[in-house]
Amino acid sequence: MMEISHDLLVYVAKTHGLFYLVGFSILTLIYCYWPSNKKRFDKAAKSVLNDEDGPCL
Amino acid sequence: MFGFHYKLERKAIGFVIAIIIAASIGGIVEIAPLFTIEGTVEDVPDMRVYTPLELAGRNIYVREGCYACHSQMIRSLSDEVERYGPYSLAVESKYDHPMLWGSKRTGPDLARLGDKYSDEWHVRHLNNPRDVVPESVMPRYGWLLRTPLKVEDMSGHLAVLAKLGVPYSQEMIDNAPSDAIGQAQPDRDEAGGVAERYGDATNIRVFDGNPSRVTEMDAVVAYLQILGKLTDAAHRQQDAEIPGDAS
Amino acid sequence: MVLNLTRSERQGAMIVAVLLSLVGLVMTLFGADGYFSTHGFIIMLAGMGTVFLVGRGYDAPEPSDERLAHYYDDPVKAGVILAMFWAVFAMFVGDWVAWLLAYPDMTFDAAWASFGRLRPVHTTGVIFGFGGNALIATSFYVMQRTCRARLPDQLSPWFVILGYNLFCILSVSGYFMGITQSKEYAEAEWYADIWLVVVWVVYFLLYLRTLQRRNEPHIYVANWYYLAFIVVVAMLHIVNNLALPVSWFGAKSYTIYSGVQDAMIQWWYGHNAVAFFLTSGFLGMMYYFLPKRANRPIFSYRLSIISFWGITFSYIWVGSHHLHYTALPHWVQTLGVTFSIILLVPSWASAGNALLTLNGAWDKVRDDATLRFMMVAAVFYGLTTFEGSFMAIRPVNSLSHYTDWTVAHVHAGTLGWVSMISYGAFYAMVPWIWKQKKMFSPRLVEVHFWLSVAGTFIYVFAMWNSGIIQGLMWRTYNDVGTLSYSFIDSMVAMHPYYIARAFGGFLFLLGACVGLYNIWKTMKVRTPAMVSDPSRPLPVAGVAAGSVEAGE
Repeated sequence: MMEISHDLLVYVAKTHGLFYLVGFSILTLIYCYWPSNKKRFDKAAKSVLNDEDGPCL
Repeated sequence: MFGFHYKLERKAIGFVIAIIIAASIGGIVEIAPLFTIEGTVEDVPDMRVYTPLELAGRNIYVREGCYACHSQMIRSLSDEVERYGPYSLAVESKYDHPMLWGSKRTGPDLARLGDKYSDEWHVRHLNNPRDVVPESVMPRYGWLLRTPLKVEDMSGHLAVLAKLGVPYSQEMIDNAPSDAIGQAQPDRDEAGGVAERYGDATNIRVFDGNPSRVTEMDAVVAYLQILGKLTDAAHRQQDAEIPGDAS
Repeated sequence: MVLNLTRSERQGAMIVAVLLSLVGLVMTLFGADGYFSTHGFIIMLAGMGTVFLVGRGYDAPEPSDERLAHYYDDPVKAGVILAMFWAVFAMFVGDWVAWLLAYPDMTFDAAWASFGRLRPVHTTGVIFGFGGNALIATSFYVMQRTCRARLPDQLSPWFVILGYNLFCILSVSGYFMGITQSKEYAEAEWYADIWLVVVWVVYFLLYLRTLQRRNEPHIYVANWYYLAFIVVVAMLHIVNNLALPVSWFGAKSYTIYSGVQDAMIQWWYGHNAVAFFLTSGFLGMMYYFLPKRANRPIFSYRLSIISFWGITFSYIWVGSHHLHYTALPHWVQTLGVTFSIILLVPSWASAGNALLTLNGAWDKVRDDATLRFMMVAAVFYGLTTFEGSFMAIRPVNSLSHYTDWTVAHVHAGTLGWVSMISYGAFYAMVPWIWKQKKMFSPRLVEVHFWLSVAGTFIYVFAMWNSGIIQGLMWRTYNDVGTLSYSFIDSMVAMHPYYIARAFGGFLFLLGACVGLYNIWKTMKVRTPAMVSDPSRPLPVAGVAAGSVEAGE
């Protein structure tokens, strides 16, 4: 019983691990290069440079 | 206004969940199988548990941070096997809460230290390492000889370990304090129970050279003398000359 | 500090402090051993000290609503000073243990002064005391600025920063007494661990509540890194520290894991403490303070996001590279190597992103030691992550593991990356929060910079040499086919390097002392001119209060 579940876990670990890695990378890249995100990113990158002395009110 | 903020919050929480998912996959994949590993590790019937005295010594080893400079894990590399002995097997530390494999060898590996040196050597070495190894940079542990060993709470220690899966019997738990004393004072009545409960191979003797009382030195030396001696599995494996690695 | 709290916040502080005192009292009275009682007493002192402090200002008039027009930086100030005190203390202990390895008899025959007990004092002091306070302080600063929102209340940040330091004090005082779980970088015993969980949950909620109040729809990437640091460290801390105490009123506990599982959990924790405490959090620091100080937007915002997910996803796998050739199953070791190498991509993306941000502003790097601190930090980050991936390869690891090479690697990361980016962030932030035009002495910043660089180089080169020599001596065979060197031969060979290392560490410590002095003097300078920024009109108090309510 124990042996089966161990082998199964190892199998899942060895196969699906790669799948997750590839899937995850693709999702991240899609998010980063989604055209409508570009403006948001540019704004965020610049916005830290001009934060003021107090909270936005 | 409320709705707007609610939405923002949801975004932050969603982000946190994404972090948790991304960061837990690796851990689950690598660690979960290890908890079912018992089935694939060879069964070792001669594997014994630490006696209360050895456990107390182990706790002092932990307390003094010995693991910061001494490993207890011989890797499957030829020079290590030659220098220290057969490489360590997973089963050898299966009752170790926590494991003391270590990560740094400022001093040598101790996984197979048991029976390598005499008790007297250990006592002198711990008292002042430079008395026996002039080049040593190990601190002195002179107070171990002066400090009486605390044994009253040993039953509690064994009980907790039993709950965590170490096969201590109720009898072992109940007699832990007297067994700890007895193992280091063979002339006392308590000594008889130790061999009965932990086996005839158990070291029952005065470890620190002073038969009149049980000190922390007794416990530490008792522990050091059992390192690598809980089972012969590693030696058997080496004799069988099974090629390959520990997996 | 108390005067800026509102009436209800003072009440809250009083309740927490009284509860803490009571817990401490119970621990003191019913402690099953002297250690536990001593820690109870320390907790009680902390609680009663807070009661006294809050009590003294309890009846003072409430602060005016004008405060809501400014960010709340008092806890940031406290965090910076605490971080610098921890840095000086823990680096002193570090240098002391370094000398102990060269001259082992400086222990006064006292248990607390031996290497094994002082080593966790050093590691906990620098990682959690210095690093942790630096992270918490800068995160409070950065989250307010990037969200353009004030902290949601004034009590929980104090709870986080002071509660966290109580954890550090409990841990460090415990190691002196010999209370330790022996889990590297998580030596604190179960009750201190539980207390850290409480503090951490408040910290996490504080971060989420501030994000919730943000006036920018997009969450700036620095916050991502800080948030990953908070979330994943919580996960690591809880899983790694699961233990059963021998007595609910005693210090000693046994971890629920044993043997190979314990080793894997320990290094899953250990390496990800490096990843999410010493990397992710400090990258958050870098992604705010570096562009800010250089006055240039980050080179590629996209790259910072890609490396964020890369680091968050890949780091968690690599812990097993600490266990090569051990009893850990082979396939787990292989996974560890694979991901260690994959990890180089997001790591170098981050380091490159930082350096490319500075491209075109090298004149500033030349003139400004603060920016130079951050630049050197990014370089060391790149070097260390490369070295880390290299050392994770099995044949390399067979040489480097258990030797001083590991120590060199760790210190290249902690001295070169973690400390330098913190100093850079502090020197940028300190004049801003204390409303000064510049540091008390820019010259001393320069001195600190060169002491740090020199100290790091001497330290790291000494340990690289000793580590590789050690590794080679251990595996050298003579013509007959037996080992050439005894273990003690390799130790004797280390002696000169241990002295060089201790000297390098001393220079680094000296730098930290200079930094503390400089920050202290900056804080004490009184120049009313900078109290408020004239370029920005103060909003009407009523409007401020209204908008905050809407944000709750």
